[in-house]
Amino acid sequence: MKYKNLILTILMLVIIFPSIAYAYLDAGTGSYILQLILAAFFGGLFAIKLFWNKIKNIFRNIFSGKKDNNIEN
Amino acid sequence: MKTDCTIQSSFRDPSGFLFYKNKQIYRQVNTCYKDDYDLLITSGLYKSLSDSKLLIPHLEADIKLAMTDAAYKVLKPELIPFISYPYEWCFSQLKDAALTTLEIQKRAVDHGMILKDSTAYNIQFVNGKPTFIDTLSFEKYNEGEPWVAYRQFCQHFLAPLSLMSYKNISLNQLFKIYIDGIPLDLASALLPLRTRLRISLLSHIHLHAKSQQYFSNKVVDHGDRKINRLSLLGLIDNLETGIRKLKWKGRNTEWADYYDDTNYSTGSFDHKKEIVSEFVSKNKPQVVWDLGANIGTFSRISSSKGIRTMSFDIDPACVENNYLECSRNNETNILPLLLDLTNPSPGIGWDHSERMSFVERGPADMVIALALIHHLAISNNVPLDKIADFFSKISEWLIIEFVPKSDSQVRRLLSSRKDIFPDYTQSHFEHHFRSCFNIITATNIKDSERTLYLMKKK
Repeated sequence: MKYKNLILTILMLVIIFPSIAYAYLDAGTGSYILQLILAAFFGGLFAIKLFWNKIKNIFRNIFSGKKDNNIEN
Repeated sequence: MKTDCTIQSSFRDPSGFLFYKNKQIYRQVNTCYKDDYDLLITSGLYKSLSDSKLLIPHLEADIKLAMTDAAYKVLKPELIPFISYPYEWCFSQLKDAALTTLEIQKRAVDHGMILKDSTAYNIQFVNGKPTFIDTLSFEKYNEGEPWVAYRQFCQHFLAPLSLMSYKNISLNQLFKIYIDGIPLDLASALLPLRTRLRISLLSHIHLHAKSQQYFSNKVVDHGDRKINRLSLLGLIDNLETGIRKLKWKGRNTEWADYYDDTNYSTGSFDHKKEIVSEFVSKNKPQVVWDLGANIGTFSRISSSKGIRTMSFDIDPACVENNYLECSRNNETNILPLLLDLTNPSPGIGWDHSERMSFVERGPADMVIALALIHHLAISNNVPLDKIADFFSKISEWLIIEFVPKSDSQVRRLLSSRKDIFPDYTQSHFEHHFRSCFNIITATNIKDSERTLYLMKKK
């Protein structure tokens, strides 16, 4: 399955976290821990997305610049 | 408008509360929220959001109006014409509310702030657009801290939207049971297996529910674990992508094709429109409620005259189509909402008063009830005197259509059941309504056996 590795990784992290626990939190704990993991993962994807958009913009500017020159010529 | 008192929907947040005074609505900002309120203004976030009509604008009022000594400021927010709730919204309304909340969250982070709560009740539809109404929902963003309202966002938006999209369009009615959004373990259990193949639903609903369950009885310290700004934006971006991908195609529900399946000729339909238009113009109401509005054809008669019109229907597909039509045409005077008139929205939440009942939000200056009476009286066995009594509670003026038993639509309703309605006649109808209303005008609709009445409450 496409997301099999991802699921296993997240589940492993979820299981590992209690070993460093030592204070009480309310029932929002599960959301908090998951948010830490997901934010790291989606933050990475978001960084790649931003980088990719920059590359696309560079090429777009280059090609649109050529078009403009052609029009001027 | 009520007498001086606090408004019951805003007691949970210690930052402040809403209250009535001198027949006006004000918001008290408490001293404990001083730094965050000042940052909201000085960071430019308030201006950015209110200029874009994403946040309800306010004026700072006289501090002497404050209800308690804890006050730092008193605000006078722009009045919201009609308060509606997520269990009264169609799919696209809830989706637009979710995307508006995320847009606000992104702008807040840009200005060094963050949403400290993200309930669907913080959104209201103002001039046709979803608008954030809780000015006190913003707090300073300290980079590294998680988004405390993440769970609430998933419960109030992602869970109901995915259930409506993948399972059943009526599952937003779960909001009536769960005041703080749909529990993620319930959403996870109800959603089909294939939603586990969608990364956003797998992460924010299924794994989220598992994580909540796993940590429910465990002691955990936040320690030094941080979420940097880029990661937070990545999380928001994924929520946004997940919500944008959720779709609902209005299927052929009972009422969605109603106007293709009536016994109206074009002539009688146009005549009915003319009469309704004349009745509405005669009284110049400021607020009209159109009950059983279907896709809003008759609601648009009043909304096009500049009258604020609430367009209620029981069918999610009709409300969806009506809302999409409003969005396409940028209509600002009409608000389509979901309502089962035989079981209208109750007062819910603490002390039954956090969210108002349907009747509490009235009365309207005028109620329009076209082709509705036979569904209430015959399909739902509601006696005519009770119908008249209910309408007198919610309207000053009433435009109501009487549909006799000889009409093909009523014959259809009676075709599969015993006729236990000997009193369902025009004379009985007039008799019962006369006990609550004065009948001003009654006009027969051309080429039909139906009659349109204009009535004024006694």
